[in-house]
Amino acid sequence: MAERNSHKRPKNLDLLRIRLPVGGVVSILHRVTGVLLVLLLPLAFLLLQSSLQSPEGYAQVVALLSSLPARVLLLFVTILLAHHFLAGVRHLLLDIDLGISRRGGRLGAWLVLVAVVGTAVVAGGCLFR
Amino acid sequence: MNTGSPHGSGSAHRGLGEWLLQRLSALYLAGFALWLVVRLAMAMSADYVAWKAWMATGEVRLAFALFFLSVLVHAWVGMRNVFLDYLKPAWVRAVAQLLLAFGLLALAFWAAQILLVDASA
Repeated sequence: MAERNSHKRPKNLDLLRIRLPVGGVVSILHRVTGVLLVLLLPLAFLLLQSSLQSPEGYAQVVALLSSLPARVLLLFVTILLAHHFLAGVRHLLLDIDLGISRRGGRLGAWLVLVAVVGTAVVAGGCLFR
Repeated sequence: MNTGSPHGSGSAHRGLGEWLLQRLSALYLAGFALWLVVRLAMAMSADYVAWKAWMATGEVRLAFALFFLSVLVHAWVGMRNVFLDYLKPAWVRAVAQLLLAFGLLALAFWAAQILLVDASA
């Protein structure tokens, strides 16, 4: 029975053929950025604590954050935060039925992506002056 | 414990509570993030003394205390939802949730230390 049915069935798990709608892309990225931000929490705690413990610690944190690799990481974190924030606001608006229609949902998702790129450009301009 | 049944993985009203917690914490985190960005941008040239004095004020520590609480609650609900959706064998999910709980609890103690020891004047 299982063998007879195992072939020729249209499996809809062909990742090359599935095209996630833009709302789905924004939604899954909200999860991905959320998980990454949780993983970055200990680093943020460490930097905050060091910067408060002593003038030397503060100077170390400032110097560390000014280095080139740290600026690249900061830009990446800014993008993560901007996306998680904006996609989150979109989800909250969806809760109160704003942008819930097919058209509105797509528009909102595109607005989130455009705003994230805009934030990245501004943040990049500030970080790599 | 029967983790395969709806009761094992949480009752109906518990899901509603988490839904609400996730949104309330999201609202606070959003407001806190905007406030922090504005305040940090305003104090770009601050030094250690100014930073320490600012962090020692009552309102700022309260704002950070609520931030730590919100971010840990938000992380718990969010990560749990991700685990429930993608981690398939029940024991893998259980182990992941246990590690998450320990990790977030450790962060909670760490946050308390930062607020009560390091941030005090």
